[in-house]
Amino acid sequence: MKQTLMGNDAIAWGLIHANVDMVSGYPGTPSSEILTVVQQIKKKLNLDVYAEWGTNEKVGFEVAYAGAIAGKRTCATMKQVGLNVASDALMSAAYIGNLGGMLLIAADDPGFHSSQTEQDSRVFAKFARIPVLDPATPQDAYDLTKYGVELSEKFQIPVMLRPVMRVCHAREIIEMDEETNFKPNKGEFKRDVPRWGAVPRKDRFPQGKEQLNRIEVIKEYNWTHLLKKEFDKCDGKNSVLIITSGTGYGFAKETLSDLNLEADVVKVLMPYPLPVEQMRDRFKSYDKVLVIEEPYPCVEEQIASPNVYGKNTNSIHQIDEMSKEEILKAFINIGLYEGENIYATPPALNFEVEARPPALCPGCPHRDVYYAITKVFKKKKAIYPSDIGCYTLAIAQGAIDSILCMGASVSMASGFSLSDPDKTVVATIGDGTFFHSGIAPLINAVYQNHKFILVILDNSTIAMTGRQTTPSRENKNIDIKKIVEGMGIDCMEHHYSYEMQDNVDFFREVKKVHADATGPTVVVVREFCILDRERAPEFIPNIFAKVDPELCIACDQCTTIYKCPPMAYNDDGVIEIDPFLCAGCGGCLDVVCPTDAFVQDFDYLKRGN
Amino acid sequence: MKYQIVIAGFGGQGVVFLVKVLAICAGNRNIAFLGTENHGMSQRGGSVSCDIKIGDFTNPVIDKNQADLMIALEQNEGLRNLPFLKLDGTLVTNAKDKDKYPTLPFKGFAKIDAFKKAEKGEFPIQGLNVYMLGFALINDKNFPFSVQEVKDAITQMNAKVAEQNIVILDQAMRDAKESK
Repeated sequence: MKQTLMGNDAIAWGLIHANVDMVSGYPGTPSSEILTVVQQIKKKLNLDVYAEWGTNEKVGFEVAYAGAIAGKRTCATMKQVGLNVASDALMSAAYIGNLGGMLLIAADDPGFHSSQTEQDSRVFAKFARIPVLDPATPQDAYDLTKYGVELSEKFQIPVMLRPVMRVCHAREIIEMDEETNFKPNKGEFKRDVPRWGAVPRKDRFPQGKEQLNRIEVIKEYNWTHLLKKEFDKCDGKNSVLIITSGTGYGFAKETLSDLNLEADVVKVLMPYPLPVEQMRDRFKSYDKVLVIEEPYPCVEEQIASPNVYGKNTNSIHQIDEMSKEEILKAFINIGLYEGENIYATPPALNFEVEARPPALCPGCPHRDVYYAITKVFKKKKAIYPSDIGCYTLAIAQGAIDSILCMGASVSMASGFSLSDPDKTVVATIGDGTFFHSGIAPLINAVYQNHKFILVILDNSTIAMTGRQTTPSRENKNIDIKKIVEGMGIDCMEHHYSYEMQDNVDFFREVKKVHADATGPTVVVVREFCILDRERAPEFIPNIFAKVDPELCIACDQCTTIYKCPPMAYNDDGVIEIDPFLCAGCGGCLDVVCPTDAFVQDFDYLKRGN
Repeated sequence: MKYQIVIAGFGGQGVVFLVKVLAICAGNRNIAFLGTENHGMSQRGGSVSCDIKIGDFTNPVIDKNQADLMIALEQNEGLRNLPFLKLDGTLVTNAKDKDKYPTLPFKGFAKIDAFKKAEKGEFPIQGLNVYMLGFALINDKNFPFSVQEVKDAITQMNAKVAEQNIVILDQAMRDAKESK
């Protein structure tokens, strides 16, 4: 059956068609849609599937892994930096293994589109000694999802699927199973203490030896089932061989075709473990072998030989995502191509255009809260550690000093408070990130009496990745305030107000309380997400703003500290509000403008907006 | 057939909707299609550009100097993405009449102040994406799909809002013919 699908949709269908009935994980671009689409398929076809988010990637992995130990076919899904969080579980699971198939999906983001690092999960698979599959297109992603589940069950070890953003978020017409005959395995835990409860060194050492043997077996399997036929296709007439992994294949093929060049091309579907000896034997006769992969030299390092070129020989780009222009340059570097750069910008087309970076949405409560924080805790005497989420975008308001990884705002607030005690440390973290990894460092701060302010921005959703629900909105509606109180400290609570003065007054109160505190002062601000169709309407007052041009003195306050996207200077040099973008939150009417130039536009709705 | 289209805009303008519509058009005619979309952080009001490659391609990204058509939902986003358009390609852009627009060397070129039309209430701003698609249908003589094929795809996408979208598409095509 032909279907037009995005890569992540294709993976979700692949899971269902591979009879996977337990999917767990944590949202993160570019992986988020996989689990959401499984939920949609479950609903549409009324399937008996567990497809739910975990509180973080480690939890998600472990839930799925236990399912696979009990014989079910399972999947854990996350982005590449999420795998860092799950890595403790992965490293051990790679020794112990599983009975039912378990697919670990780690989606990479070459080019840093939505990620803090450009790390390569294939290299992580190599580190953990588990096989990894690298799809080039959504069609590959569908096929390899099914293949990976089978492989995992065959070799009794988790198998990684590593799609990159240009696979997850690519759209293609794919061929998939005609029908969905969903038949998941029955789960039944079989006690096997030496295996599932393997202790060091007695049980782990033999498991380590098994792991080494298993990798050798999978290398052979990779050769006989996947790689040999790829090499067999090469007729040996060409002097250059291109070995590709994942998207490298599609980019290399198009570049060769665009430039009318001839070279043999091998597509590596399983970039680890590689049957290095067989491969070397086949490529030794070529003058040059160019490896095209992203983002790290995973294949290249495994097959290193004097005639192998790639990132480590500086023949191809080492950072940033794949492009045909980079491949063209690599062809020049290895002497395959001598012509012009057909991917260069035609002359006179580079216009200086003002950058349009991502910004907090118009009407987002985060903007007002950060505005109030910086108003009360002045920059010179404060340090603002923050965390990973939409609110990271408040960096444009000058309200964030540091970003590291999920949950680090809290522990770094500890560190800053100890190392620079003359300043007030005001850390901010979202509710999703607090549940994910902010609780342990807060316990630490209470445990060790670290004096800082922690502001938990509770919009009750994981907003950045598509508004997945948080633990505060399902089943028992876990309350952040009670979690904090359970640590034996008070939790101040504030309901975001569109009247800015209320927010400023609250943080003045926080400042007073903190002055007398000996440990952390924790605040939860109840907010909403403007994109949350369920909750936002009850909070938005529909107070639309316009500018009184007589009052605007072009002082830049709103464009530098408040930073709401509809606000921009017009040709007369005064601020104007773009009526198409204003969300009607009323946040700018109070405090924000020193001359009160923002006034309510009573006619806004009457004009048919 | 090989045809490469860049759609340039910013988060919230419905760029991805157009990718889906054109993917359905290709699917209905059984032509290969590869496209790439923006999700996540890159969506939050920032620049968004999506690539659509119709025909026999093996990667979803359009490199510089390769696109046959660019549909720009906002003038600066169009200018930002000009390097991707071939000189013998076509640029169809939303641009404010009051702003001075540079003279560009492309073989095909058409601009319209769609924001002004929306402000005047001629169509709802949420339909800007469909409006510009309609404008492109008339102004790109090599556009790979017929008006009917596009309408069918819009209906398949979301039958509930199809009627309103088709009204907008028709209006854009009328405006395009009038402005010629």
